[in-house]
Amino acid sequence: MKRNTQVLLALLASYALVPLLFGSNHYIMSMVVAALVIGGVALSWALLGNLGGMVSFGHSAFFGVGAYTSAIVSMKLGLPVPLSMLLGGLGAVVASAAMLPVLRLRGPYFALAILAYAHIFRILATEWKPVTGGAAGISNIPRLPELLGFDFGSKTGNYWVILSLVVVLAFAYQRIRKSHYGLALRAMHESEDATRVVGVNSTLLKALMLVVSAFMCGLVGAFNAHYINFLEPDYAFSSVWVTLPIVAAIFGGYRTLTGPVIGAVAVYLVDQLVFKAIMPSGHQLVLGLLLVAMVLLSPDGLLSIARNMTGRRHAAA
Amino acid sequence: MTELILQALYSGLLQGGSYALIALGLALVFGTMKVINLAHGELVLLAAYIAYSVESGLGWSPLLAIPLAMLVVCSTSVMVYLAVSRIQKDREINSLILTYGLGVMLTNLILLVWKADVHSTSSSWMQDAFVLGPFFSMNSEILFFGVSVLLMGGLWWWLARSWYGRAVRAVSSNRDAAKLMGINPRSTELVSFVVAGILATFAGVALFSYGVISPSYGGVLTIKAFVITVLAGIGSIPGVLVGALLLGVAEALTVTLASSALQDLVGMGLFLLVLFVMPNGLFGAKRRRG
Repeated sequence: MKRNTQVLLALLASYALVPLLFGSNHYIMSMVVAALVIGGVALSWALLGNLGGMVSFGHSAFFGVGAYTSAIVSMKLGLPVPLSMLLGGLGAVVASAAMLPVLRLRGPYFALAILAYAHIFRILATEWKPVTGGAAGISNIPRLPELLGFDFGSKTGNYWVILSLVVVLAFAYQRIRKSHYGLALRAMHESEDATRVVGVNSTLLKALMLVVSAFMCGLVGAFNAHYINFLEPDYAFSSVWVTLPIVAAIFGGYRTLTGPVIGAVAVYLVDQLVFKAIMPSGHQLVLGLLLVAMVLLSPDGLLSIARNMTGRRHAAA
Repeated sequence: MTELILQALYSGLLQGGSYALIALGLALVFGTMKVINLAHGELVLLAAYIAYSVESGLGWSPLLAIPLAMLVVCSTSVMVYLAVSRIQKDREINSLILTYGLGVMLTNLILLVWKADVHSTSSSWMQDAFVLGPFFSMNSEILFFGVSVLLMGGLWWWLARSWYGRAVRAVSSNRDAAKLMGINPRSTELVSFVVAGILATFAGVALFSYGVISPSYGGVLTIKAFVITVLAGIGSIPGVLVGALLLGVAEALTVTLASSALQDLVGMGLFLLVLFVMPNGLFGAKRRRG
C-alpha cells in the first residue's frame, strides 16, 4: 500500500506540479518533453536488455521508422494523429521483423546486426525520395489535435501526452515482467539451455520482446515527429537516439523499471545544460565517458546503489 | 559494359585488402577474448587522422606517419583491453556497452581535435593513376594492397609459427586447455589487442591515402569488419580474406552498376543473406558441433 501511495504521489507531482511550476517557461518545458522522449526510448531499450537479454545499438531504426510512418500516414492519407501514431508503432514492429533471423544466433551477433540495421533505414529514408522527401526531409507534420476542448498540441498538452505515454509503457513493461512470460524470461537470463529443456520456446520469447520494444520505441518516435513537426533522415535516424537512451538506462539501472526514465531526465538535462554549454561540439564525449565509467564501476546503475543504501531491495528482472 | 564490370572487380579486390586488415583485427580479438570491440573502426580512423595531421602539418608523406600512428593506436588498443578486462560480471553484454562507449568517446575526441570536415590526401603521387594492362587504379591503392598482402602473409606466419601466434590460436580454440599448457591467457589477450592495433594502423593510413575520412566513419568501418567476419564464419582467418574481397567487390559493383549511395546497403544485404542461408558463415561450418 505504501508503495502505491508513493507512485500516486510521484505521478500527481509530475502531472500537476511540473506544468504549474514551469508551464510558462517554454525553454524548460521543451527540455522536459525532450528528456521524456529519451526516457521512453530508454525504457523500450531497457525492456529488451533486461527481459530479452539483448543489447540493441539500433533503436534509432525503430524510432525513425515510427516517426516517418506516422508522419507520412497522417499527411498522405490524412489519418488523425493519434491513429497514425499507433500505425507508427506498428511500422517499427514491421521493421523489427527483419531482425528476427538474427535471434537464432547467440552472442554478439544481434547487437552488431542491429547496429548495421539502423544504417540501412537512414539510407532508405534518404534514397526513397517520393515517399520520404529524401535528404530535405518532411516539414509541416500535423501537430497533436484539439480534443474535447483541450489542445494537446500546446506545450503543456504535449507534456501530458508524452508523460502519459511513458507511464503507460512503464505499466505495460511491469505487466510483462510480472506475467508468466516474465518468469520464463528471468529463467532464460539464468540459463537459456535449461529453460529450453523445460519446454520454453526461447527464440519466440526473445522475438516477442523485440517486437514489444520496437513498438514502444516507434510510438515514442511518432510522438516526437508530431511534436517537432519536422523530420529528416539524419535527425530521425541519428545515433543520438541510441547513445542517450543507453547512457540513461545504464545510468539509472536498466534492470529496474523507473531507472531508465529517471536516468534519461537526469542525463539529458545535465547534458544539455552543462556539457553542451561547456563544449558545443563533441559533448557526447562525456556521455561515452559516463557509459564506460558506469560499466566499470557500477553496472547496475546509480539508482540501485541509492536503493541499497536506503535498505530497499529490488530483484533483478 | 564488360570492361566496366572487370574494372569494378579489380577496384573491389584492391579495396578488399584494407577491409581484410580491419576485419582480421576484430576477429583476432574476438578469438582470444570472445569480445567484439565496437571501437575498432574508430582505432582505424584515429590512424587515418594522424596520417592527415602529419601530412598537412609537416608536409610529409602519409607513409611516414605510420610509426607515430602505430604508437598511438596500439596504446589506445591496449587501453581498450585494460578497460574490457576489468569488467566484473555479464561480460558479454557489458563488453559491448563498454566498447560502444569507448567508440563514442573516440569519435567525439576526433571531432573535437580535427573538426567535422572531410579530408583526403593532397599527395599527388598517391592519387596518380597506375595502369596495369586494361585496369586503372591509384598508386596508393596498389601500394596498400601490396602492404596488406605482405601483412597478411606476416600474420599467417606469425599465427602458424611463432610462440605467441600459436598461443593466440590456442587460447582462441580452448582457453582452459591453453592454460594447462602454460600459456598465460591474459598476456595472450594483450598481444591480440596489440596486433589488432598494428593492423588497424596500416588500414587507417591506407584509408586516408586513397579515400576520404570524416569523424563519423568509424562506426561504418566496425560494421563492415563485422559483416566480413560473419561472411567468413567467426574464427576463420582465411575466411576473413575471402569475405573482405567479397565485400569489396560487391561494393564496387554496386557503385558501378547502381549508385554510390547504395554501397552500404549491399554489405548489409549480403550479411542478411548469409545469416538466412548459412548462419555459420561461408567457412565456419566445422564449428557447429557441440
